[in-house]
Amino acid sequence: MAYYISQLINGICQGSIYALMAIGFSVVMGVVGLVTFTHGEVIMLGAFASYYAFAMFGNHLLVGILASFGASFLIGVVIYKVCYERFFDAPHHISLLCTIGMSMLLKNLAQILFGPNFKPLLEVLPNRFYGVGSVGISLVQLTVIATVISLSLLLFLFFNRTRWGVQLRAVCQDRKAASLMGINVKLTSMLGNCIGCGLGGVAGMLLAIYYQTLIATMGGPAGMKAFSASVLGGMTNVPSAALGGVVLGVVENLGITFTNASFRDVFAFLFLLGVLILRPEGFARKLGNRS
Amino acid sequence: MTLAPAAKASWSRGRIRTLGLVLLLLLLLGFPQIYPKSYVMGVMCRILLYAILAGSLNIINGYSGQFNIGHAGFFCVGAYSEALFAMKIGMSFWAALPLGGIMAALIGLVVSLPTFKLRGVYLAIVTLGASELIRLVALNWEGLTGGPMGVKGIPAPVLFGLRISKATRYYYIFLFLAVLFFFVTDRVVKSRVGRAWVAIREDEAAARSLGVETARYKAMNFMYGAFWAGIAGAAFAPYFKFISPDMFNLDEGFNILSMVIIGGQGTLAGPAVGAVIVNFLTEVLRPVAQYRMVLYALLIIGMMWLRPQGLVGVSNSILAERKAWRSRRKAAAPGGAAR
Repeated sequence: MAYYISQLINGICQGSIYALMAIGFSVVMGVVGLVTFTHGEVIMLGAFASYYAFAMFGNHLLVGILASFGASFLIGVVIYKVCYERFFDAPHHISLLCTIGMSMLLKNLAQILFGPNFKPLLEVLPNRFYGVGSVGISLVQLTVIATVISLSLLLFLFFNRTRWGVQLRAVCQDRKAASLMGINVKLTSMLGNCIGCGLGGVAGMLLAIYYQTLIATMGGPAGMKAFSASVLGGMTNVPSAALGGVVLGVVENLGITFTNASFRDVFAFLFLLGVLILRPEGFARKLGNRS
Repeated sequence: MTLAPAAKASWSRGRIRTLGLVLLLLLLLGFPQIYPKSYVMGVMCRILLYAILAGSLNIINGYSGQFNIGHAGFFCVGAYSEALFAMKIGMSFWAALPLGGIMAALIGLVVSLPTFKLRGVYLAIVTLGASELIRLVALNWEGLTGGPMGVKGIPAPVLFGLRISKATRYYYIFLFLAVLFFFVTDRVVKSRVGRAWVAIREDEAAARSLGVETARYKAMNFMYGAFWAGIAGAAFAPYFKFISPDMFNLDEGFNILSMVIIGGQGTLAGPAVGAVIVNFLTEVLRPVAQYRMVLYALLIIGMMWLRPQGLVGVSNSILAERKAWRSRRKAAAPGGAAR
């Protein structure tokens, strides 16, 4: 029993990382209205930014968060300029292919710049456990969950309490009406894209801390997880995307307790296929019009 | 797909086209006699193989406008089927080749089931997930597929008592398959079925309202594309003698996709041109191999910016929306719309 409970805790922890990725993905989807395949690479770049920041400024969590958020934010500007800005009125598959090209570009540049091997990321946090009986939770897991929750709260405040947040939500709902209200739609879209990317970058840092390792090709599976969780949440709905992430993490971890760990991604994909076939709109009430 | 203009003009143009194709075929047939270096033969084999693969992806992406980015999965199914039928049962290559195609087509049918409900990105992610799923099954089902070690020593095909081992001999097999593929596909896309596919691409709702059974035609489309990818995989397995799950990862899928996009979607010649260009670049860039994928990525982005339908893709289609889009922008400009 204790084994299943600790697997559940692992699932929730991993799921909260997926949730942060999915939040970023849903923000991009909602604000820009075009799908991105670069999110995995953004996550990877965030992880590497934090890796180098830790090496330069010492192991403070805040340093890592700032570095990964900042780096991914800037990459978000590039992605917006290359993949979205020209293609709002064009058929959607054009910008989609553009993001696929961009993802190939970033991944292979990262392999050249950072080397093709695994890099260890040890001792960012002390290796400490808190436990009741045989059920334990590590400091790393607690930190991950706390970071995700506090960033989600910050995002919630940003969306609901600031002028920029209101503009972002307006653009989300109706681009044309927002522009008639005097909102600079292009700038707001770019900001939304960058914030989504930045959150993805922080998720990448958490992923690297959690697994204590990072590699230039980590983006592919991570991007798929972000997409799955986001689909489960209905693509553009931020809170239910977060819920989708947690559900995905729990399903994955309970799935591998019955088989073995190499089937982790198999479960994630089967889950995604099942959701898409049975209930493509996810938790949301109706399918977003972004298909 | 352009409709035939006046009958007379198309007659003479058709004759020139036929003449050109016959000349090209003769040149390809005679090529090993003119220039029998094994390195060049290897490159030619790869070009022909990828022409079939990119062509079969183009059937799905270019003709019926679905969005398949996990084509490596079907390729993988074909290759593994041929290898396992040949190794475990001792089946001959000529029997295992169509079986590889049929297995891939069955998987294609399964993958196409969500297409009835889903479009665009959702579909893209289903194909991507299916491709990864196939690779992960091949990786983890060690009893059948040998897991990460792959399948080694796949027997070479035997034709009339002649064991086919050299690249020159494989070249003729690939050439035969490629010619068969392009001939059959040319007939199919000009038939009622092909017209239904193009109708689905241009406007699915309109196609359905005109009585096209979209679900059935989409399933057929996926199965047909997957079938040829499977055939290409089945021909590839004995040629390479060794297959492992790593060869069919997502990068392979993107590699095939980049050929279709660079060459051109929605025409028969497009993917072939793409296969020639991409494989030629691969050889030229061999000294700086790590920059190869970077260049493909830049080519894809450049294509999307300048010519979304590809070098020789269809021009009067939704795939080449740029013209219409530019004029719409021009019309919007005086009003100073915010986007």
